[in-house]
Amino acid sequence: MKDLMISRRRFIKNVAMVAASISALPVVNAIAGVLTDESRMDDLEQAVFAKMLKIALPTESSSLVDSASLPVLSTIEGALLAGMAPNIRQGLRGGISYFNEGSVKSFGDRFVNLSDADATRFVDQWSASAEPPERALSMGIKKLTVLAYWAIPSTWGPLGYDGPVSDKWNLSSLGNTPEPTI
Amino acid sequence: MSIHNNKLNIKTAQDIQRPKLTIDADVVVIGSGAGGAISAYELAKQGKKVVVLEAGPYVPSSEFKEMLAIAMGTMYQDEGGQSNTHGDVTVLQGACVGGSTVVNAALCFRTPDYFLNLWRDEHGLGNLTSERMSVYFDKIEKNLSIEPNVKHETSIGADLILKGLTKLDIEPGIAKRNIRDCAMTGFCFAGCKTDRKQSMLVTYLPWACNHGAEIYADTRVTRIMTSNGQASGVEAEVVDPKTKVVKSQVTVNAPIVVLAAGPVQSPIVLQRSGIANSSGQVGKNFACHPSLSVTAMFEEEVDDFHGATHSLYVDTHTLPEEGGYILLNALQEPVEASFQAEPGTGENYVAYMEKYRNSIRLITLIHDKNVGEVRYTDGVKEIIYEVDDHDFESMKEGLKFNAKILFAAGAKYLYLPTSDRTVINSVEEIDSVIDSLKNEPARYRYTSFHPQGTCRMGGDPKNSVVNPYGETHDVKKLYISDASLLPTSIGYNPSETVYALSHYIADEIIKANFS
Repeated sequence: MKDLMISRRRFIKNVAMVAASISALPVVNAIAGVLTDESRMDDLEQAVFAKMLKIALPTESSSLVDSASLPVLSTIEGALLAGMAPNIRQGLRGGISYFNEGSVKSFGDRFVNLSDADATRFVDQWSASAEPPERALSMGIKKLTVLAYWAIPSTWGPLGYDGPVSDKWNLSSLGNTPEPTI
Repeated sequence: MSIHNNKLNIKTAQDIQRPKLTIDADVVVIGSGAGGAISAYELAKQGKKVVVLEAGPYVPSSEFKEMLAIAMGTMYQDEGGQSNTHGDVTVLQGACVGGSTVVNAALCFRTPDYFLNLWRDEHGLGNLTSERMSVYFDKIEKNLSIEPNVKHETSIGADLILKGLTKLDIEPGIAKRNIRDCAMTGFCFAGCKTDRKQSMLVTYLPWACNHGAEIYADTRVTRIMTSNGQASGVEAEVVDPKTKVVKSQVTVNAPIVVLAAGPVQSPIVLQRSGIANSSGQVGKNFACHPSLSVTAMFEEEVDDFHGATHSLYVDTHTLPEEGGYILLNALQEPVEASFQAEPGTGENYVAYMEKYRNSIRLITLIHDKNVGEVRYTDGVKEIIYEVDDHDFESMKEGLKFNAKILFAAGAKYLYLPTSDRTVINSVEEIDSVIDSLKNEPARYRYTSFHPQGTCRMGGDPKNSVVNPYGETHDVKKLYISDASLLPTSIGYNPSETVYALSHYIADEIIKANFS
C-alpha cells in the first residue's frame, strides 16, 4: 500500500510537471525553428488538438471566422513545437496522452472519441477539478489551441479589432534619442 | 574612444563565423537590459573598453510587428513561456537586445521611502538613503523623459475606470512613463515600433556605443571566470537563434564583470559558475509581484484597443500595512483577452470573445513575500514559487477593490481569471464570490512582469549575495546590477528602481576602480 502511495505521488508529481510545461508553453515563434521528426505532432496529438479546436471554438452559428478554415494546427506545430527543447517536447506528448485517457473514467471513452457535448463537459470538469494536474492540463491545452487561433490576424475582423496601426497611421520613428550632454 | 554616431555597434550570430573568439576588454557586461545598458554607458564614458553580451536576439524596432503573439516568440524569455514549476504564474521578461525595457509598459515609480528605510533597518543598506537615491532618480527621469502622462495620454478603458474611481471617491494615480511624444498605439508589450518608448534600445545602448562599447547579441554566457578570488572574464556561446546550434565559443578576458542578466538568469549564471554563494542565498528570495486581471463586460461597445498601454493606477493600498496591492489599468489585444478569462468551454467562450469590444480589464498586482527560488539543476531552469497564503489574502482584498471600481465604472458583469468559470454579476456578489477563492496551484491565471530578489543586496555576507556597493561579497570585481538585488519586493513596478540602482552601482564601480 505504501509503495502504491509513493508511486501515486510520483505519478502525480510527474503529471504536474508535464501539465506545468504545457501551460507554460511558448506562444508563437515568428522565427520558426526547424521542424524535426521528433518535434512534429504525432497522430494522437493532431487528433487531440483538432478535437479541442472544434469544441473550444464552435464557430458555426457565430460571427467568428470558421476555425476549420484556418491553419490553426499548423500554427501550433510550426510556430510552437518547432525548436522546443526535447525534454519539454517529450513532456508535452505525455501530457496530451494523459489528458486523452482522462475522460475514460467519467465518460467511458477517450477524449478524441467523445461526442462534442461530452468532450466539452469533460474539459470543464477538469478545469474545476480538485487535482491541480487536471486543472493545469485542461487549462493549458485549451489555452494553446485558442491562442493559435487568435494569433492569426484574419480572426480579428469579426471582433472589430483593427490590429497594428503605426504604418496605417503613418507614424514616423523618432529614432535613437540623442545622448545627454551633461 | 568617442564615435557619436548614436547607433548600435552590434554583432549577431549571423555576423560571427569563427568557431572560437577571444576578446580583451576592461569591462564585460552580461545582459543589455536596464542594468546592463546603464552600466555599459557609464563605464564606457570613462574611456573603458566595454563589451556587452546579450543572450537574446537583436530585433530592430523597424521589425516590430505590433502583435503580442509574435513579440512573445521573438523578444520574450522562453518565447513568452517562462513560468514557475506549477505553470500557473507566467513570468514575463524581455530576452532581446534592450531586455525587458523593450517590452515593458514604461511605467515608472521611484522606490518608496518605506522600502529604502526597511532595507536600511533590516538589510544593512544605510547607503541607499532617500537623499542619495533622489540624485539618481532625478538623473534617470531626465535622461529617459520620465514624465506624468499628459491629459490625452489615456485610453477609453482608463477613462471608464476613472469614472468609477470618481464615483467611489478614490484617488487615482496618474502614471509616469519613460516615453517621448507617445503615439498611443497601445503596443508597449510588443515593442514601440516608432521609438517613442525610451527603452535601452534607443537610449543607453547607442549612447554606450558612442563611447566605443561593443554589443554581441545571441551570445549566452555559460561561466564567469575567476582568478585568486577575483573576476577575470567570461565564457560564452554564440547560438544561432533559428537552429539553436552553437556557432562560436567566446572568451572575454576582462578584470571587471558586471552581471545584469535579470533576476532569473543572473543566479543561474552564478550557479553554473559555482561562485559567489557562500551565503547559500544565490537564487533564493525570489519574488515576482503576481498579478491577476479582472475582465469587465459593458453593455455597449467600448473598443479599448489603442491609447496609452497603462495610464491609470490606484495605490491607496500598496504599502504592506495598507493592504499590499496596487491596481493598474491596461489595454489588451485579442490574444491576451483569449486566455485572461474563463467563460467556459464552447459556446460560452465564443460568446465571450464576440463581446471583446465590450471588455476592459483592471489588474490587481500584489507586493509578495520573497518565498521563491530559482534553481539550475541538470541543465534545467526551475522557478519554484507558490503564492504565499498571506499574500493570497492581499490578492483577494485587491480583487474586491478592483471589482467595486469596475462596477462603479458601469460594468455589467466581471470574469475572474480562474481555471474554471467564475463570474461576478453584481456588487452584492463581490464579497461572497471572492471570499470563496482558495489559494491553490493551477487555479488562477497569474502573470508576473516583475521578477526580483534572487541575488539580494545586504550588509551581512551571511545572508546576502551582494554588498551595499554592488560587488559580490565573495568574488571581487564581480558586480551585479539588475532587479535580483532587491532585498524585498516593492509593490510598484521596479524599473525606475533598477535604473537608479544601476547608476548608483556604476558610480561605485568607477569610484573603486577608476578614480
